[in-house]
Amino acid sequence: MTPLCYKALSQTGTLQRFVSAILLWLAMAAAASAHASLNTTEPSDGSVVSTAPRVITLTFSEPVSPTSLKLTRPDRRTVTLGSFVLKDRTVEITPPGDLSDGSYLLSWRVVSEDGHPIGGSVVFSIGQPNANPRGAAADIDWPVCAGLWIGKVALYVGLFLGVGGAFAINWFADGSGKALRQIVVTLGAGFAGALLSAGFQGLDTVGEPVSRLFTPTVWKAGMATSFGPTVIFAAAALALAGLALASGRGRDARWISISALMTAAFALCLSGHASAADPQWLMRPAVFLHVAAIAIWAGALLPLLAEFRRGGEAAGAALHRFSVFIPWAVLVLSLAGGVLAVVQVRTPAGLVTTAYGIVFLIKLGLLVLLFALAAVNRWKLTAGSKKGEPTAIRLLVRSIAAETAVLLLIFAVAATWRFTPPPRTLIAEVQRTVVAKLQTGKAVADVRITPDRVGAIAISAAIVKSDLSPLDPQEVTVVLSNPGAEIEPIRRRAQQGKDGWTVPDIALPVPGRWRLRLDVIISDFEMTRMEGEVEIAP
Amino acid sequence: MLKKITTTAAILVVGSTAALAHVTLEGKEAPVGSTYKAVLRVPHGCEGKPTNTVRVQIPEGFYGVKPQPKAGWTLDKVKGAYAKAYDNHGSPVTEGVKEVVWSGGSLGDDEYDEFVLRGTIAADLKAGDMLYFPVIQECSEGLKERWIEVPAAGQKASDLELPAPGVKLLQKTGN
Repeated sequence: MTPLCYKALSQTGTLQRFVSAILLWLAMAAAASAHASLNTTEPSDGSVVSTAPRVITLTFSEPVSPTSLKLTRPDRRTVTLGSFVLKDRTVEITPPGDLSDGSYLLSWRVVSEDGHPIGGSVVFSIGQPNANPRGAAADIDWPVCAGLWIGKVALYVGLFLGVGGAFAINWFADGSGKALRQIVVTLGAGFAGALLSAGFQGLDTVGEPVSRLFTPTVWKAGMATSFGPTVIFAAAALALAGLALASGRGRDARWISISALMTAAFALCLSGHASAADPQWLMRPAVFLHVAAIAIWAGALLPLLAEFRRGGEAAGAALHRFSVFIPWAVLVLSLAGGVLAVVQVRTPAGLVTTAYGIVFLIKLGLLVLLFALAAVNRWKLTAGSKKGEPTAIRLLVRSIAAETAVLLLIFAVAATWRFTPPPRTLIAEVQRTVVAKLQTGKAVADVRITPDRVGAIAISAAIVKSDLSPLDPQEVTVVLSNPGAEIEPIRRRAQQGKDGWTVPDIALPVPGRWRLRLDVIISDFEMTRMEGEVEIAP
Repeated sequence: MLKKITTTAAILVVGSTAALAHVTLEGKEAPVGSTYKAVLRVPHGCEGKPTNTVRVQIPEGFYGVKPQPKAGWTLDKVKGAYAKAYDNHGSPVTEGVKEVVWSGGSLGDDEYDEFVLRGTIAADLKAGDMLYFPVIQECSEGLKERWIEVPAAGQKASDLELPAPGVKLLQKTGN
């Protein structure tokens, strides 16, 4: 160092030097922004191992500390892995001891020494990879199915007998309180059913056993399905029906009871197989009318029964109003039901070859029985009952009781539809592909993902320049992440084949919106990152 | 005196150890119209494998490039035409080194090395801009690390997964 430098240095204050050093350091740190990178993992990404690993290791280019380690299991449950040790640049994670066969995804997030977080995902399978779940016979959790079924039947009882009953009391029975207790009981059953359904729907969605019924996440998951709005509107309908009963007789009660009926019909057209079918403009109104008509018919049974049991003038008048109105309800019910059946079953063969069709046939058989009882009531017993003939009334009471029993059976049968896919969806079950078009200033890519649902998927991408002239990239990497499910990027190098660039198998553990990115190396020093989103079905 | 220098140096060293994961340039700033010595720092290999080749693309506007040979590495200079003529002490230069390749070496993943080249930053480049030197590391087993991403408008270098090393251009100095 020259004397001049010495002089210059000695003239500068220590503080000034300190500050300038810090500034320089900040500039360097900002410009360089060090990230660690993942070197290797054990089990390696995409591998199939014969036995469950006792330890999962991630080795990085420099020491890191994990901020989030999550393992998604084959049943889509995610557990946080808290048991790990750091050995220099390696993170050794002890997974749960009960790993069964199937595909697992470890989503990791770490910070390197400079505090910069990076993340990624490792997918590995034990034994063999997950099949696409709809194709495979999944384990049926009988207690959960039973809970779903009971909840559904109870909900039907509440909506049809309870809400329909409140309607009948106000419109046919002139606000009579004779059936009040029965209707209140059915409304209560409906509430319990709605509540139960939400919980069990949650268990079914996240694949948890009954023992986990009282965890908040399960209920949140249940309410997040299309059944959630149904539960809310069903509860509103039941509450309105209760309000109608509490309002005594009169115009207010009548209008509250009819809005309860509408709300109940609306609730059921918000979810379920039939409401989900196309064409929506036809199917949803058809469900609405079908449900409303059933509620009017079914709802009248308990109040009529109560009127005739107690006897009196009012019973005849109620029966008269009911029998004037009911043919129209039956007409609407049958027409709407016919439309639903045709769309859902598609072909006559579907009636006998699918579980859905068989349930439909059983329901139809019960319906014929119900119509027969109704016809006997109407043409044999109604006239006599109105006049107050004791024999006719006794027979009518029995017949209405039988009708109610058949109706309950129909509810029980219809509730099993929850577990049978309609032939319509089975026809569409052939492998579907989701297509995404990605574009940057440098290139355009058509990406196809087959099938479009969770499990093992294949990806192929046709890539051309943005002016649609041919492009021959040196390398293509497919990157999939799901920020919503907190899944860090899964990266796979694509292979070039006759169908473009392909990745034959990535096991996607959860459905939903996935972020898709293609990193395309166009030439040695030129790359483009193409981003988009794809919807992966459950 | 010595203590002060050591303090400054120590602060710098502590700061720079953190900044080692990407390939970066040692000199972060340089005035336009001046000679710049680009020191490329290679902190690690590719996914744990040793680096065998380091390739640097010379940006347009950086001319009269002379790379520094390294013992144990073969040095290649890929030459080509510049987009325009640059002034070399009064005479125009229209072609020169466009890419520098150090190959045939072996730099372990747990080792560190620097690769040096020198050239002139054209006086007509804009102060305040960044000049990027995209780098490809080629490793055994066909693995590559590409430090070739340049931030798009509105992007920061820290947003990029594979940022190219760059130098910030300063105003031309007086002499």
